[in-house]
Amino acid sequence: MSSIRWPSPSLPAFRQAATRRVRAWARKRQGQDALTAVLAARRTYILPTGVGLIYGLMAFAMLLGAMNYNNNLAFVLTFFLVALGFVAMHQCQRNLVGVDIAFAGVEPVFAGSVAEFRFAVTNPSRSARHRIRLHVDDRDSDMHDLGPGDSTVFTLPVDTAARGRVRLPRFGVHSQYPFELFRAWAWLHMDLAGLVYPRPADDAPPPPPSLLALGHRQHDARGEEDFAGLRRFVTGDSPRHVAWKAYARSGQLMSKRFAGADTSSQWFDFADLAGMDTETRLSILTRWVVDAHRTREDYGLRLPGEEIPPAHGAAHRDRCLEALALHGDGDG
Amino acid sequence: MARKAQKKPRGTDGALLPSLPWTLAALAVALAPHVPYVPVWVTGAFIACAAWRLLIERHRGTLPSVLVRAALALGCFLGVLATYDTISGVGPGSALLAVMASLKLLETRKRRDQFVLLFIAIFLVMSALLREQYLWSLLYLVGALVLIMAAWLRMAASPSARMRDSLATSVRLVSYAAPLALAMWFLFPRIATPFWAVPIDTSAGVTGLSDTMSPGDISELSQSDAVAFRVTFEDTVPAPGDRYWRALVLHRFSGRTWTGREPSIGGRPEQQIEFAGDPVSYQVTLEPTGQQWVPALDLPASWDLPRTFMNTTQGLSRVVPVDQRVAYKVVSYPVYRAESGLRDYFRGWYRELPAGTNPRTLALAAEMREAADSDRAYIAAVLALFREQEYYYTLQPPALGRHPVDEFLFESRRGFCEHYASAFTVMMRVAGIPARVVLGYQGGELNPLGNYLIVRQSDAHAWSEVWLPDEGWTRVDPTAAVAPERIELGFTDSLFDGLGAGWGGRVPSRLWHRFRLSWDALNANWNEWVLGYGPEKQNALMEWFGMESPGWRKLVFTLIAFVIALTLGVSALMMWRNRPPRLDGASRLYRRYVRATGLAPAVGETPDAFARRVTAESSLDDTSVARITRSYLAARYGGDDSALAELADAVSALGRR
Repeated sequence: MSSIRWPSPSLPAFRQAATRRVRAWARKRQGQDALTAVLAARRTYILPTGVGLIYGLMAFAMLLGAMNYNNNLAFVLTFFLVALGFVAMHQCQRNLVGVDIAFAGVEPVFAGSVAEFRFAVTNPSRSARHRIRLHVDDRDSDMHDLGPGDSTVFTLPVDTAARGRVRLPRFGVHSQYPFELFRAWAWLHMDLAGLVYPRPADDAPPPPPSLLALGHRQHDARGEEDFAGLRRFVTGDSPRHVAWKAYARSGQLMSKRFAGADTSSQWFDFADLAGMDTETRLSILTRWVVDAHRTREDYGLRLPGEEIPPAHGAAHRDRCLEALALHGDGDG
Repeated sequence: MARKAQKKPRGTDGALLPSLPWTLAALAVALAPHVPYVPVWVTGAFIACAAWRLLIERHRGTLPSVLVRAALALGCFLGVLATYDTISGVGPGSALLAVMASLKLLETRKRRDQFVLLFIAIFLVMSALLREQYLWSLLYLVGALVLIMAAWLRMAASPSARMRDSLATSVRLVSYAAPLALAMWFLFPRIATPFWAVPIDTSAGVTGLSDTMSPGDISELSQSDAVAFRVTFEDTVPAPGDRYWRALVLHRFSGRTWTGREPSIGGRPEQQIEFAGDPVSYQVTLEPTGQQWVPALDLPASWDLPRTFMNTTQGLSRVVPVDQRVAYKVVSYPVYRAESGLRDYFRGWYRELPAGTNPRTLALAAEMREAADSDRAYIAAVLALFREQEYYYTLQPPALGRHPVDEFLFESRRGFCEHYASAFTVMMRVAGIPARVVLGYQGGELNPLGNYLIVRQSDAHAWSEVWLPDEGWTRVDPTAAVAPERIELGFTDSLFDGLGAGWGGRVPSRLWHRFRLSWDALNANWNEWVLGYGPEKQNALMEWFGMESPGWRKLVFTLIAFVIALTLGVSALMMWRNRPPRLDGASRLYRRYVRATGLAPAVGETPDAFARRVTAESSLDDTSVARITRSYLAARYGGDDSALAELADAVSALGRR
């Protein structure tokens, strides 16, 4: 008997279980969505809000009053309110149906900050749509009105905790227009994911000294480097590598590239940080990468099973951070 | 849970500036019809709180503290209690709602707090409708509803949205709701009896007959134009001189005042009435009087108003006061003989006169009775006295002193119906003839527009009844001896005949009067068909529509069917409003061409690729396909107007073949 764990009979637990079931049912019913979806009527759900329930109670009380006094004008008011409730219900649903939602990307973030999923929402109809919002669980996006033919980018914030991927298997779009008596919503299952970099360590040890700082011993040990070509000079390149002859010829500053280890670059190696757990190491490496990128140094990254040769620039940084984020992931 | 409730912030940030004025406007409109009824300070408090709240919002000020608000709430509540002595009923209820709205304003910080204010506005409209149901009340209802819903939309709308749009949306949604509401109104089963009886407050003060009469006190007769009741006759309308609407009988005289307490007798009186001649059938729609008497033409034989009986003085009385408009059918007989066998005890009762009052009248009456051969001759002599001597009918007689009948008969010699009825009845009693005063209405004006009779408060009248052996109670109207036009033409028509000015009455303009008659006809229809739409009318209407033996079950099913159908209609209308925008000219022409090919372009297939397929697979000739494709691309993507003309030409050439 004791091995069976009965769900607690409390209301929140029941609500959670019910929500889970309803969501599973909706997922099964609707199937996987493409990255662009048009809200169909059959997947737009609607329920009264708290205000709507109070409104309904008020209308019922008024009906009793009108019946008691046999007052035909009170009946008119009561039935107008009831009819407005019906109209509001349909208006609320129609306000969502037909809206076109397309995934518009998500920027990678560091763990602990908020990933912002962006969606382009388009109103392809002749009348305006009002007060539309996206939501996931209890978090809402910004709210927008969409004129006829308008398209607006909505930002849906999602909290991140750990590095890796932040998944958004399901999100909703909802509106309470016109009177907030009803809430119409639709669930979308686009199976989206954003990249979450490890959180840069706050108190990271200084990065290992660069080869340049170690003097020429290592340099000598490596022997002569092979000239590998020229590239445009960027601030931070060593003046020793400037191709002065080429400058004289073309008037453009160029740096010489060598096939061997760049003498000005450094390696951030996972193995250097022995004695710490994996996440701390990744966090420290992330800090080094971020700092090195800021000071425009060249750097390379060595992770178990992966090596990214030294380079610099945003693309290189992103490549390194992605490797750090997905380290150990099956799909990394 | 010992933790203290967190103190609510009281600062404002101006976020309510776009929506608050409209919420206030909705509240003000909802409150408007209450203003004449609620105490002045309630209206004042609302205006003050509204202005205060707006100023706070404009200057980003701070809301009053809980202490101030609690003090204000207590003060207002006690104020309402002190004014009405109760808090139930429409009057105190609406005053409380207005007070609640004012106080809620002072703690409204967020947009959503305004929900409560708008709910209060709706309840204010409801209580206004419970109090009065005029034709304009419908306009008020719809107008207030549109404004409340616009304020509601405004509250939820983005701050940049225009108010005009909220108002337009509100009008649109209310007009969508109108057919639904109408269907529900017609089909919702009406029940005849209420669940519980809560009196509707009639503090407004109903003008009408009072149940006492003191000629000499009132120096001016009420000339109120208010409608007392309306009558629809089933066939013939009695002549004006025969329209005596009996309401109540006064028989106790103090020398100055006539009152009408019934002679106390055990049990329900046994009526001795014999009817003769042709009956008159009619329906009366009586406006609320707050009293128990029910007017009917002399003398009612049968009536269908529940809980109403004929009292000992042959008048109709209802057990409960008439607090709401009632309609009832009556059959009356103008020719009758009532209580021909009146017992001696009562005969004495109707001869009583207070000692020591009006001595000159007593002397004159005794002298005249002496000179007359019979009671009948005496009655004729008294009427002749009024007719032949210098007595005048006037609506503005002088006030009279200690012996009002003496002063009227011998000095002022001017008065209206009450003076003549009172003097005549006193003179009858002196001669030993049982007599009493009857209060009611006389005449009434036929409205040609609705073919019904309007009886106004200004038609109020007093006359006498004398009891004669073998004949019973007999009506004698001394006013007819003095001012026969008043009786023969009716009050309103005599005013127009030039007599009114002589009596000191206000003569309205004829055009205005015609307008008023049309307005009254409209109101009479409103009362009968809209306000009076009850179980019988509903059944009759449903049967007319072809529903067999309508019952509540059938009504409810029909109602549900109508609501579903109309709601689907509204939904379809909204869907239609959301249809995709119209295609541009080039696309429409191209669509015609695609139809003509009998092929369907695949997703992602360019017009050129499609043209190749058309050339290969369809019978259309190659040059026109090429021409259409070329001009379509130029018109659609090149913005070339001449290409559009060419496209139109090419596509229509396609159709001609």
